[in-house]
Amino acid sequence: MSIAACLLIALYIRDELRYDKNWADADRIYRITGEYKFDGKLETGADWPAPMAKALKTDFPEVENSGRLMPHPLFYCAGSNQVRRTDEEQNTFEEGFTYADQSMLDILQVPMIYGDRKNALAEPNTIVISKSKADKYFPNQNPVGKTMILNNDKDRIYKIGGVMKDFPSTSHIRYNFLLTMTGYQLWDNEQTTWDASNYYTYVLLKPGTNAAEFQNKLKLILQKYYVDRMKKAGDPQADDIAKNARLLVQPIAHVHLYSADIDDSLEKGDIRFVWLFGAVAAFILVIACINFINLSTAKSANRAKEVGLRKVVGSHRRGLVQQFLTESIMFSVLSFILGLLIAVLLLPYFNTLAAKSLTIPWTAWWLLPLMIGSAIAVGVMAGLYPSFYLSAFKPINVLKGQLSRGSKNSILRNGLVVFQFTTSIILIIGTLVIYKQTHYMLNKKVGFDKDQVLLIEGTNTLDSKLEAFKNDLLKSSEIKSVSIGDYLPIAGMKRDGNTFHKEGKLKEDIGVFTQKWQVDYDYLKTMGMHMIEGRYFSKEMASDSEATVINQSMAKKLGFTNPIGQRIENGWQKFTVIGVIEDFNFESMRQEVTPLCLVLSKYNSTIVSVKISGADTKQAISYASNVWKGFSPNQPFRYTFLDESFANMYANVKRTGNIFSSFAILAIIIACLGLFALSAFMAEQRNKEIGIRKVLGASVSSITAMLSKDFVKLVIVSIIIASPIAYWAMTKWLQDFAYRIPISWWMVAIAGLSAIVIALLTISFQSIKAALMNPVKTLRAE
Amino acid sequence: MLELKGIYKWVNTGVNRTFILKDVDLSVKQGEFISIMGPSGSGKSTLLNVIGMLDDFNEGEYHFMHESVHKLKEKQRSALYKQYIGFVFQAYHLIDELTVYENIETPLIYQNIKTSERKAMVADILDRFQIVGKKDLFPTQLSGGQQQLVGIARALIAKPKLILADEPTGNLNSKQGEEIMDLFKEMNNEGVSIIQVTHSEKNAGYGTRIINLLDGMIAN
Repeated sequence: MSIAACLLIALYIRDELRYDKNWADADRIYRITGEYKFDGKLETGADWPAPMAKALKTDFPEVENSGRLMPHPLFYCAGSNQVRRTDEEQNTFEEGFTYADQSMLDILQVPMIYGDRKNALAEPNTIVISKSKADKYFPNQNPVGKTMILNNDKDRIYKIGGVMKDFPSTSHIRYNFLLTMTGYQLWDNEQTTWDASNYYTYVLLKPGTNAAEFQNKLKLILQKYYVDRMKKAGDPQADDIAKNARLLVQPIAHVHLYSADIDDSLEKGDIRFVWLFGAVAAFILVIACINFINLSTAKSANRAKEVGLRKVVGSHRRGLVQQFLTESIMFSVLSFILGLLIAVLLLPYFNTLAAKSLTIPWTAWWLLPLMIGSAIAVGVMAGLYPSFYLSAFKPINVLKGQLSRGSKNSILRNGLVVFQFTTSIILIIGTLVIYKQTHYMLNKKVGFDKDQVLLIEGTNTLDSKLEAFKNDLLKSSEIKSVSIGDYLPIAGMKRDGNTFHKEGKLKEDIGVFTQKWQVDYDYLKTMGMHMIEGRYFSKEMASDSEATVINQSMAKKLGFTNPIGQRIENGWQKFTVIGVIEDFNFESMRQEVTPLCLVLSKYNSTIVSVKISGADTKQAISYASNVWKGFSPNQPFRYTFLDESFANMYANVKRTGNIFSSFAILAIIIACLGLFALSAFMAEQRNKEIGIRKVLGASVSSITAMLSKDFVKLVIVSIIIASPIAYWAMTKWLQDFAYRIPISWWMVAIAGLSAIVIALLTISFQSIKAALMNPVKTLRAE
Repeated sequence: MLELKGIYKWVNTGVNRTFILKDVDLSVKQGEFISIMGPSGSGKSTLLNVIGMLDDFNEGEYHFMHESVHKLKEKQRSALYKQYIGFVFQAYHLIDELTVYENIETPLIYQNIKTSERKAMVADILDRFQIVGKKDLFPTQLSGGQQQLVGIARALIAKPKLILADEPTGNLNSKQGEEIMDLFKEMNNEGVSIIQVTHSEKNAGYGTRIINLLDGMIAN
């Protein structure tokens, strides 16, 4: 069991540590990140303006090459798309799109299946697809030169420039479709502006370059392209940036594990977890060994006679030590085989738990020697003490029946039990807190009504028919309202960050960073949000195209006491505030609600939100599906529910909870095994005493109670140690959440009680067995 | 006070049945001092354990203080013997982790006697046995004779009607042995019945009656 857990954790750690080591020049590839102390908070990021990559290459001789990736779904075609071959009609939804520079292929030396890496993305409108996608769309052929269409957009037909090997699962760069940046810009002059930051930027340094020195030189970029330019434009923030911002380089192999605090919207690991897991594995192994030691010394009574006899017939102590060591090594090898078996059985479960796809590297040459080596090492570790302990028995005493009596209140033994139970209790409390927090987040009033909202996806292909689609949907009595728009109050949806100022204060105030969401007339109604003040957009008011509805935090941040009628601007647009909407959580509850403004807009949205009555959900879905078929027969109807997407935001919290509960269960099992061994040992040691007490009139229950009392004391000590640690750790964990639950005493109480109950159940077997024993038997040996 | 009628005890070894006790009839009156004698393996200790209700028997009837022991349940038996019987062992069987005082006190705890009362009773007996000065010592700090003294004090503390002693002097030298036997005699004179198992004719002489056991049968 323990070995199975260790094997799984070892696999996990190996996988985590392998990230991004596969690239040919991995030691020379760096990602540019940055940090900026603003408003007392340290903001981090890995998104940079389009021209930065080029600037790095031209301004620094150390840079051999530089490249960019732009996977942000805010921009057309990045993220996910409806895809089809040009010669087919049926659209398929695909994810994993990113814009990329040709130079990225060069820096990473992406292995190619078809096509020439050197110019696969060199021409405009070229695309590089992964092997698995090539097999899907162009089975058994070389697709280079063939064309594909994204989102029915016939103006931009993509030509396949190459097929690359799938990115390894152990890379933070995992895309299936690379769209070229050559000859493309997201908007006019976008490729030269330093005002918008959307690109992950990577550099390949020349061999022998000192990365730390290079990092120091990066100040130049800040000065040249930010501070000087901002000063010229009279931006009041220029000095602050010069003082408090820093550019950093991060080795590509560190991106996965060492960027937990970098706000880059990648799915990442965390080196702290790797350490934690490693420590857990080591602990499990050590505890398993100590439990084995306890158990085998406890059983020593049974073997004492054997030892005595062997000694009498002339066996040397060395021979005996050898015998016992061989035995424990055999046990260890056996448990490794069993452990491996269990690990194989548990691997699928573990994979879902850790969201990984680990496999046991059966074919690796080192597997067998490593396993045998560790089995022997563990065997020796666990067998050393018992073998010396057992072989030290004096034959005379043993044969006379006087057992060597180890110290009963050994600090080591009790310490072990306390340690094991402390761990278990901490994990139980942790599990409780995490589940409670998850429950809280999923059920908290978030400021909008997430129930009964159907999200129809991939609607951008409807294009000009979008409005007609909406009107047809509304014909059903099951459907209450329909809103066209990509800006939904769920993390990972479309976002648009802007800096807003009061009108005319552009050059005086440091602006308020605000989400500007493009919505339609029915957004408020569909999402079930509430107005606090003023009114929502109305079709009757023509002037609403220049109006905005802001949320409470924005009103506060801008310092409006009477926001209605105020004017705001972001540098290129001006709006009149017509209403204030109640704050709603639109990101994960880790974050406070930030300023937000809604503006009216009609655009080609990929999502249509449908509020249904909920009386007959099936009917509503099949109706919507039918309407969809009428409009878009070549594209499957794809939908989710808003509340499901909402719950998905907390999938990783749930996963942490699952990992915690698994660890808790494991810890409890191990602790119980340890306790079982210890109670067996104790019962063995106190055999005679129990016999005497029975003769003196002790009942079974009083003896059971006597034997259990000591252990319960240990568990209570564990509770006392565990509670503050758990409280501290979980408070720390909860601090990640802007909206969180308090830790209440009953969680500690439940954890403690369950630990006591579990401990009692474990000991009761041994103590009742001991108490039921016929005293005549234990007292006879004289 | 007790009567054994046709007591059989056996173990099955394969097809054979080995008898440990065979048709034992024994009746003991209040105030008797009985010595059970016999060679090794004749069933002396087993007989004593049966009388003490620590061991079962396979056949026969056993009446103790007007109770039919063979019909009682484990719990009732335990309640019966802890009230009326005190045990003394060859190997003393004191609890090593407890002091002399605590060892003597233990039977009282199992009879649910109040702390204050216990204190008085233990103090009494310590005084009587002249071991007050040793009350805070642990058994391993005492000589064999002193340990057996504590053992007897423990057997007497609950004021039993019957003392069962399994070779009480077996581990002692002759002088210590004599002291212990004198103590038994004294107790017997105070009205406590005693049944002892012994190898020694001399010790058997302290008693009022000798029962010879051979191959599980009373050989008188």
